Amino acid sequence: MPQPTDLLQGTLDLLILRTLALEPMHGWGIAQRIQLSSQNVFQIGQGSLYPALHRLEYKGWIQADWKPSENNRKAKYYALTRTGKKQLEAEIESWDRLAGAVALVLEQG
Amino acid sequence: MLNEFLTRLRFFIAGKNQREVDEEVRFHFEQQIEANMQAGMSPEEARRQAAVAFGGVQRVREQCREERPGYWLETFVQDMQYAVRGFRRNPMFSLTVVLTLMLGIGSTTAVFSVVDRILFRSLPYGDSERLVSVGLVAPIEPQEFMLGGSYYEWQDNQKPFVALTSEIGTEPCDLTENNPARLDCARVEGNFLPALGVSPVLGRNFTEAEDRPNGPQVALISYGLWLSRFHLDPAVVGKLIRIDGRATEIVGILPKDFEMPRLQAADVLLPQALDVAAERRADPGHPMWAFARLKPGVSIEQAKAELSPLFEYSLRLAPAPFRKEVHLQVRSLRDRQVREVRLAAWVLLGLVMAVLFIACANVTSLFTARGASRDRELAVRSALGASRMRLARQALTESLTLSVAGGAAGCLFAAFLLRRFIAMAPEGMPFLSKAQIDLRILFFALTTSLVCAVCFGLLAAIRKADIEVLTGRARTTIRRAVLRRWLVIAQIAASMILLSGGALLAHSFWNLEKQSFGMSAANIVTAAISLGQTSYPTAESQMDFFQRLERHLRYGPGIAAFAISDSIPPGGYHDDQVYASLRVEGRPVLSSGTGGTVASRWVTPEYFRALRIPVVQGQGFSGEELTSNDHFVVLSKSLAGRLFPGENPLGQHLHLHNGAPKENDPPYIVVGVAADVKNGGLAAGDEPEYYRLRRQRAPDWNRSSVVILKTTLPPAATAAWIRSQVASLDPTIPVDIKTLSERVGKLADRPRFEMLLVGFFAFTGLLLAVIGLYGVISFFVVQRTQEIGIRMAVGASRADILRLVLANALRLIVPGVFLGLVLAFALSRVLSSLLFNVAPHDPVTFAGATALLILVALLATLIPGGSATKVNPTVALRCD
Repeated sequence: MPQPTDLLQGTLDLLILRTLALEPMHGWGIAQRIQLSSQNVFQIGQGSLYPALHRLEYKGWIQADWKPSENNRKAKYYALTRTGKKQLEAEIESWDRLAGAVALVLEQG
Repeated sequence: MLNEFLTRLRFFIAGKNQREVDEEVRFHFEQQIEANMQAGMSPEEARRQAAVAFGGVQRVREQCREERPGYWLETFVQDMQYAVRGFRRNPMFSLTVVLTLMLGIGSTTAVFSVVDRILFRSLPYGDSERLVSVGLVAPIEPQEFMLGGSYYEWQDNQKPFVALTSEIGTEPCDLTENNPARLDCARVEGNFLPALGVSPVLGRNFTEAEDRPNGPQVALISYGLWLSRFHLDPAVVGKLIRIDGRATEIVGILPKDFEMPRLQAADVLLPQALDVAAERRADPGHPMWAFARLKPGVSIEQAKAELSPLFEYSLRLAPAPFRKEVHLQVRSLRDRQVREVRLAAWVLLGLVMAVLFIACANVTSLFTARGASRDRELAVRSALGASRMRLARQALTESLTLSVAGGAAGCLFAAFLLRRFIAMAPEGMPFLSKAQIDLRILFFALTTSLVCAVCFGLLAAIRKADIEVLTGRARTTIRRAVLRRWLVIAQIAASMILLSGGALLAHSFWNLEKQSFGMSAANIVTAAISLGQTSYPTAESQMDFFQRLERHLRYGPGIAAFAISDSIPPGGYHDDQVYASLRVEGRPVLSSGTGGTVASRWVTPEYFRALRIPVVQGQGFSGEELTSNDHFVVLSKSLAGRLFPGENPLGQHLHLHNGAPKENDPPYIVVGVAADVKNGGLAAGDEPEYYRLRRQRAPDWNRSSVVILKTTLPPAATAAWIRSQVASLDPTIPVDIKTLSERVGKLADRPRFEMLLVGFFAFTGLLLAVIGLYGVISFFVVQRTQEIGIRMAVGASRADILRLVLANALRLIVPGVFLGLVLAFALSRVLSSLLFNVAPHDPVTFAGATALLILVALLATLIPGGSATKVNPTVALRCD
């Protein structure tokens, strides 16, 4: 089972962007959602999640707002920006290409 | 895009609020606890599990901070501050590095600037790489020349060139208008500028009709003259000026960077207007200098081969005895221009590379030594959590800071050095005065310093921080010490090469200065005077001027002797002819070969007394002969010995121009033999010489003469007095007054310049190598403090300790010196043409240089050696 450290940096960015494409979410929610939808394969440690979120925010792909959470606490919600959306499309496309290529190599012979 | 950029900019400047991160993390943490409690844990257990899952909060905080776009700047500033603090703690180290780099980079850049001008500059002609200088070389003129008798034959029949052109030299000429001026007029063939690929910036080139005898009087003027005399007025084209009294039309202006291919000064170009038909018939014809443009794809060797039939033609014109000694020469214009300067330039470049190598080795060695002594510090920092990347970056920042400082200091030093070089350089060094630090050279220096930085930085960075060092007992790795030892050996070897080269040139210079010239320059003031063509058009008027000048000067205050000659020894211009054209009356002439060259001068009777040249046989010239119709000659001892072996030369009749028409070859009566005087410059071999008496007859005189005065007054007073006397006769005549010692000293300018440069590099190299050696030995002492302490504790004396250190130093010095001597022996042959009366393997010089190097090196080891003997055993054993 791949450990979170084994995640390529770009892959984690892709997962975060994809998760945020559904709806704006706070950090904890993102981690939970990724863990849930990957059926517990990816367990995102905080040590990589928050630096990644900050990196994406610095890049301008996501932006953050303080909003009340489900249980009425103040939480930092991240949302995709317009460049973020474009970036996500580009990343998905390149991921598909990569995955397809890897699959082709594995299936040969 | 803009939005993204603004976001980035905002974060770059402000970063993010640290509290925000904390709050975000706390929210996450509490969510986790809640989730854990929902999963059924007790509150304490839920909190504990959440803390375990989360890991270090501080680490997350820092990682978030590191994502900040401005983070690298922040660390860079930190690294810089750290580096500067380090330099301040250890100023000797930083100063040595910066100084070493400054010397290395500065001298490299300055000399590269000079050499670049000499060897690699682009000539100011179109497609100049295809321009060649073509001609004949003969013993009398080792630089190729042409003769009108065959030049036009060559021009008609040559195949390898697009164009062949010529010039017939430069002469002083006068601009005879309001505010008259003495100018240099060059006479060139009509196709001169097109063949060189030069077009006038204004106006046009000469037409064919203008390059014929008695054609229209036209001139092209230099940009400099256009600026100084006509203030860049474009209307000057078409204007008439008077050159030597003749109205001449300015038809064009030369480009700003124009220069004659032989680099003579030229203010005005005039058509040479030779009578081609007459030249073709003439033998040998007008002397000229030819230049040509190679056809595309034709090499110089091919051109030379294709010219050989024409060369054969020229040879047939030459008198039989000369043929063997005349050769064909075709070489690139650049080669003709730089001549022997090229060797000096390459030697200089080699020396500079040696110095740069020593400097780089020194800096490397300094950095590794510092790295070794900082092992512990690095280990501590790495244990405290500095990543390897960060440590490497830190090391790189340090070395970069030092190198940039060194590079900047080097640039300043280079500018300073270049200015000194230009001030020191003799006039004969082409282009030096135009040398300047250009951008490419600056780039070269900065690249050098950057490469140095990266190398040293990496050397420090690739080493792994060794935790073992923290135990305090670990030894520094031997490998690094070995690298440093080899560097020092190489440095000593390089410095040995530099020193022996410097010593050879110094020895040679000493010989030059100490040689005897065969005459005495003491108390001699000389005044070179050249009369204007217009004011003194005939030999009579020229003689008249000089005779009036003699009456003014001869009995002046403090004048002990007065003579007029057309040239003066030991160097500079004088008349030359081949030995074969001398004929003793009643004897056959030399049957084969030219017999080499013979120098000659026209002198007045007191010449020998003024210069204290002993007349060893006969009386020399006397006053009565001045008015005689006969011709009189005094021979130098070597010429007399050759012409009249074992006979008495006095009273013999000598013809000086064998083969010339009778009226031009009168018999000269030998009236004396004078001792030999150096006449071929300082270093070149001497020629036999004869002196003709300048009688009071117009044909014996010409425009240019040198007045020689022996005076008992201070030279400055005499100079001022001569000037006033000349001005009282004719205020427009330029006079060049110098003592004979100054003229002789000027000849030594070039070797002095070469010696000073090489000496400077030898000294720099020695200094740097000694710094390197000192560094290694003191490092050795520091590292072995404990060992020395133990040795002393068990009874070693101070002398024993000193011996230990010296033995260690000798193990570096001896192989270095040996290696250097071998290389210097192999390389010094290159210098042989720059040396005077010193063999390139002169044992005394080499022994001296070796002794000096060993002495200085031992002195450098005595300082750390002395401190080793002062080691206190109790302190040494307690350390760590």
